[in-house]
Amino acid sequence: MNSRFAEIVETLIGHIRRSVAEDWIQTYEIGPETRFSQDLEMESIEMVMLAATIQRHYGGRLAIVDWLSGRSLEDLVALSVGDLARHIDETLPSEA
Amino acid sequence: MARALIVVPPLTGHIYPALSVADVLRKSGHEVAWALQAGPQAAELPAEMPVFPLDVQTAAAPDLGPQGVRGIESVQSFYLDYAIPMARQCLDSLAAAVHEFNPDILIVDHQMLAGALIARQLDLPWVTLASSSASIQKVFPQFDSWVNAQLLALQEDVLSPERIVERPDFSPHGVIVFSVEALVGRDWPRYEATYHFVGATRGEGRRAIEFPWSWLRQDHRKVLVTLGTINHADGARFFEVVMEAVAEMPKVQAVLVAPAALAAHAPDNVRVCQQVPQLDLLKSMDAVICHAGHNTVCEALSHGLPLIVSPIRHDQPAIAKQVVTCGAGMFLRYGKATSAATRSAIERVLNDIEYRNRAREMAVAFAAAPGAAGAAAIIGNVLAAVPKGQPRAGSER
Repeated sequence: MNSRFAEIVETLIGHIRRSVAEDWIQTYEIGPETRFSQDLEMESIEMVMLAATIQRHYGGRLAIVDWLSGRSLEDLVALSVGDLARHIDETLPSEA
Repeated sequence: MARALIVVPPLTGHIYPALSVADVLRKSGHEVAWALQAGPQAAELPAEMPVFPLDVQTAAAPDLGPQGVRGIESVQSFYLDYAIPMARQCLDSLAAAVHEFNPDILIVDHQMLAGALIARQLDLPWVTLASSSASIQKVFPQFDSWVNAQLLALQEDVLSPERIVERPDFSPHGVIVFSVEALVGRDWPRYEATYHFVGATRGEGRRAIEFPWSWLRQDHRKVLVTLGTINHADGARFFEVVMEAVAEMPKVQAVLVAPAALAAHAPDNVRVCQQVPQLDLLKSMDAVICHAGHNTVCEALSHGLPLIVSPIRHDQPAIAKQVVTCGAGMFLRYGKATSAATRSAIERVLNDIEYRNRAREMAVAFAAAPGAAGAAAIIGNVLAAVPKGQPRAGSER
């Protein structure tokens, strides 16, 4: 796991906790393997809202919402925090 | 007077609204029959209406998919493991029922695809009953195109190419939706169809169910807790959480529609019942905790009751979203609910006047909707529009 990937995962976890904003999520263990649908019980509409928030966090340098809408239904069902972090890691320009 | 054949899946939530419509049609002199899979639901229908049992091979009897499956996956499983196999299995026996009963009109539940296919194949007049308003909404592109691809494959096997449409389940003669526009909202685009929002039905034709009325206390706030008729068994954890929450609320009584086993350790202010006369009971309630099943939500709102919605699967997340958006209820994440979170949710819906006010606004909208009588009138209009002297499609076979 490279350090930027680990940082991105941490950023995502913070956004997930703030976006779900329920008691249980504050102590729920979230890692790269955590799946949005099966583990966090997030509905598609919540995932889209979360993606929009993360996109804003990275200052619009990413098109996460578009990337999500290009995934197959099967991919979305299985989508994990790590999958999203990997996509961000691969597409985010490195800091100058 | 006309002959109407009602085609439904063997699910209480789908049968109840159809039963109300059947009751009104029959009382206005029409001859009504049912076509559904044999089983306990068919056996409970009023004896005055004949039932044509649909032939579903027991070996491959479709069920609602693995109980643990949630989210989008559960909707995929609903089509792949239930709606589509059932449609294929029922086609022949439904065609035989149509031939025998010779109906003037088919009344088809939106998820009973065999009914829609037969009506289209035979050019019979028909209407769709949308027993959940979620199915008229587009969800998101990948999901919608996946569903449409499943429906296309089914149509290609059954219909001639010129009869194939994007959504075979929605009748061109009209789609009767058992909800109100005020609740369904406009957040999602809808499939193109002629919609008639008739509101909730009022329990016409349902058989009586006993309830220990004297247990309810005037000086307590009362909450109905139900996960509907099919999530009963795997809801044990959720019911336990609710019981723990209510145990520490001495001025609250809760009626749980839950497995009998839970009664053994229910606190004094919780009553566990296997079945309840829901519409009568709602008159005594102050709030409802449920899985966001379509009938329960619409019935609770018709009574002006605020809700806590914990959707489990299928269309329930979409219905829960309608409730939260209209402001008449709170969302509680089903698998993550704790007794503390549940208790604070109950306190909020009972005490925050905004939830009740929004629920009462919905009650006004539901009261203004025509219900089953409105649905029967729409069916009457479709019948009246059929050209006279046209040979019945069913009798040509």
